[in-house]
Amino acid sequence: MINLQNTSETINHLLRTFRLLQKVGRKHPEVRKHEILFYQLLEKYFTRILNAREEGNFIATHTTFMPGEILYAMDIVPMQTEWTSWILALFTKRGTDFISEGRRLGLTNEVCSAQRGIAGAFSLGTLPRPDAVIWSNLICNNIAKNGELIMEINRCPGFFLDHPLGDSAAERNYLRGEIEDMIHFLEEQTGRKMDWDHLSDSVAGTMKQIEISRQICELRKAVPSPFHPQEFMEMLTVTYLFQGQPEATEYLEMLYEDLSLSVSEGRGAVSPERFRVMSIFLSPIYRAPFLEKFSQEHGMVSVAEPIFTQWEEGKLDPTRPLDSLVQKLYMLPERSLYSPVGERTLKKIVDCAKEYKADGAIAYADVACQHTCALIKLFKDVLNDIDVPLLILDCDLVDQTVTSEEDMREKLEQFLELLEDR
Amino acid sequence: MDTEFITMKPAPTADLTSQALDRFREVNGLFPETSHILEHKRQGKKVLGWLCTYVPEEIMHAAGVLPIRITGYSHEIKPDEGNAYLYVNNCSFSRSCLQLGLRGGYDFLDGIAGGSTCDCARRLMDLWHHYIATSFYHMITVPQKYSSKAHELYYEQITQFTQHLSEFTGIEITDASLSHSIQIYNESRELLRKLYDLRKANNPPITGSEIIEISNAGFRMPKETFNEYLKNLLTNIDTSRHAYSNSRARLMLTGSILGNHEFVESIEQLGGLVVTDDLCTSTRHWYDMIEVNQDESPLRAISRRYLNNFPCARMIPHDERLKRIRDLAQGFRVDGAISQIVHNCTPYTHELSFVTKMLEAQGIPVLSLDVEYGTASSGQIQTRVQAFLEMLEGKRR
Repeated sequence: MINLQNTSETINHLLRTFRLLQKVGRKHPEVRKHEILFYQLLEKYFTRILNAREEGNFIATHTTFMPGEILYAMDIVPMQTEWTSWILALFTKRGTDFISEGRRLGLTNEVCSAQRGIAGAFSLGTLPRPDAVIWSNLICNNIAKNGELIMEINRCPGFFLDHPLGDSAAERNYLRGEIEDMIHFLEEQTGRKMDWDHLSDSVAGTMKQIEISRQICELRKAVPSPFHPQEFMEMLTVTYLFQGQPEATEYLEMLYEDLSLSVSEGRGAVSPERFRVMSIFLSPIYRAPFLEKFSQEHGMVSVAEPIFTQWEEGKLDPTRPLDSLVQKLYMLPERSLYSPVGERTLKKIVDCAKEYKADGAIAYADVACQHTCALIKLFKDVLNDIDVPLLILDCDLVDQTVTSEEDMREKLEQFLELLEDR
Repeated sequence: MDTEFITMKPAPTADLTSQALDRFREVNGLFPETSHILEHKRQGKKVLGWLCTYVPEEIMHAAGVLPIRITGYSHEIKPDEGNAYLYVNNCSFSRSCLQLGLRGGYDFLDGIAGGSTCDCARRLMDLWHHYIATSFYHMITVPQKYSSKAHELYYEQITQFTQHLSEFTGIEITDASLSHSIQIYNESRELLRKLYDLRKANNPPITGSEIIEISNAGFRMPKETFNEYLKNLLTNIDTSRHAYSNSRARLMLTGSILGNHEFVESIEQLGGLVVTDDLCTSTRHWYDMIEVNQDESPLRAISRRYLNNFPCARMIPHDERLKRIRDLAQGFRVDGAISQIVHNCTPYTHELSFVTKMLEAQGIPVLSLDVEYGTASSGQIQTRVQAFLEMLEGKRR
């Protein structure tokens, strides 16, 4: 294990790794442009965090589904809790340390390991101390309830953004008010005013990114499908970290071009393509290399992730940035997990399986994720009705001790055998 | 009908206090087929199930509905369907409720109303709606904070609930009917406060276990009758009665939902007298009165009370909840607190370290128990409680 004592050492180690991966990528023509850009963007994101103090910038740490466009528009350095800490964990192999520290803070195993790890990363001083915490209940109790602990660890102020459950006019209005209050909070904390023109530009950027994401989804319907498993996590990372920013647009455009080329050449992510599967929930981030290798070996390709890549219908209007951010939060693919799960979500799952010609589906059942696991039976039943088998793969998003690679391999191979026999 | 649900039968008792308590026990023993529910159904009236204390009962009452709290089995179960439908990582309360529903335990319900209080409750409602058909289903968005905007949203939400319920029952819910319901429910709160205050005595005449039995009955019968039972108990209770003469320590119970009074009884049999709690099946359910201000609609008052009531661990910030727990601990002069958290109850798990720190700063040690919903006790729990009581006794010496 790398012995990294403090924040700057840790981030510098990370930056060196990102630079090395770009360098290696450039030397290998088979590495596609967007893959190199991915590491370039990570370098940029973490460099900004590293230099924030020296440059007198304000750092706001925030949970995944906060409208990051606001932070960029106020020239605040965003530090997204989930992705920042778990990229750190992945590249420094300190995930277990983070989780153990979270346990020491009183977060038992019932709290998802991702949130335990975030609290642990802050407590160990691996992440820089933020100037403020902004967090929300989108998408679960664990995210909502961790905010006060992160505030306490960092001894900094915070703002909790409350998402209503439904999508009535009153609830949308409430959410708008919450966003306004959050802006006021940030203005008070930073002494800066919101740059509304910048926010409008960011909203326009987000709309552009949603449109490209939709086009990418369309490309993935092709047979063979061009999208690699690792690209899913990379795409999520970039769009989560650079919401509405030109960096995310550039990445998505590049990814789209690379995928378009593959489709026009009839080139799939795996060759030959034997099994088209739909992924439900998130696969363990530390098993991404394994899943890539397994997919290549077995001709398995993930064609869709309905809960993470399929945006709901709708448009954003940059001239009305606040309303658009509300609209965006209701269009988020992941929001289908927060709203009451009924016919609409079930239809989305079924339609996706049909449109993407899925042979089967894999539910990554994160052992500590209640709100996703509780849907597995519902999803299994509706997929069963259209004769699409569902594999339930117990795992943990970030805790490597829960499922071994061998165990995953065995279950996946059994599932593919089942698909082959049909 | 799942016979597993029927558990406790009232034991024959003699003194007036015990006789008064037996009336509550009878309701619990017969639930769900209580004479009250059967009679209500026989009259062609509706019975609705409610889930979580953020669903205002007064509104259902004003619509002529008998509101019944959705609970799981009153004992620990093997959650076969619960696990299959909700997955093992959901709290055993939600799995127990769903299993009971799937097995027909709630077939008498005409509908269900819930709030967006926690992940497990939300999913329980989702699956209930999908797999257990009821003609009425309503989900209330419950804001997770107390701002004026949050109050406005919650008021709008319960206004919608009121309208939906009126349409469903065909009964107009008026200010007058709501005021009448508030009066009945407030009376219940006053009576419960009188009863709970008896536990401030050095030797309380009522045990924590008996309190849970009373509370449980209150969720399963018309409030008017419950109030009569409470009045009867308060009139007949022998205040010189020592609930437990061998009390070794005064305890507070904190944590998530608790349904089985036998769990409390097992603590009390070891000498730990449970004198107060912050449970949603007990104190937290009834604690705040509904106060209707001049020129204010009763619905507005209901709305304010329900969102401001003694908070669940879901609410943010947690300062108000911590303050109220501290006040209870001081008011009831507790020596120690037992935190019982239903396994996989995430909001309470997150809050535990804050509660522990706050109580320990007051000189009140905390024993933390991870339990399954419905559990009566276990050897391990008994050993830990025993050791905790010894520690408290040692501290006093």
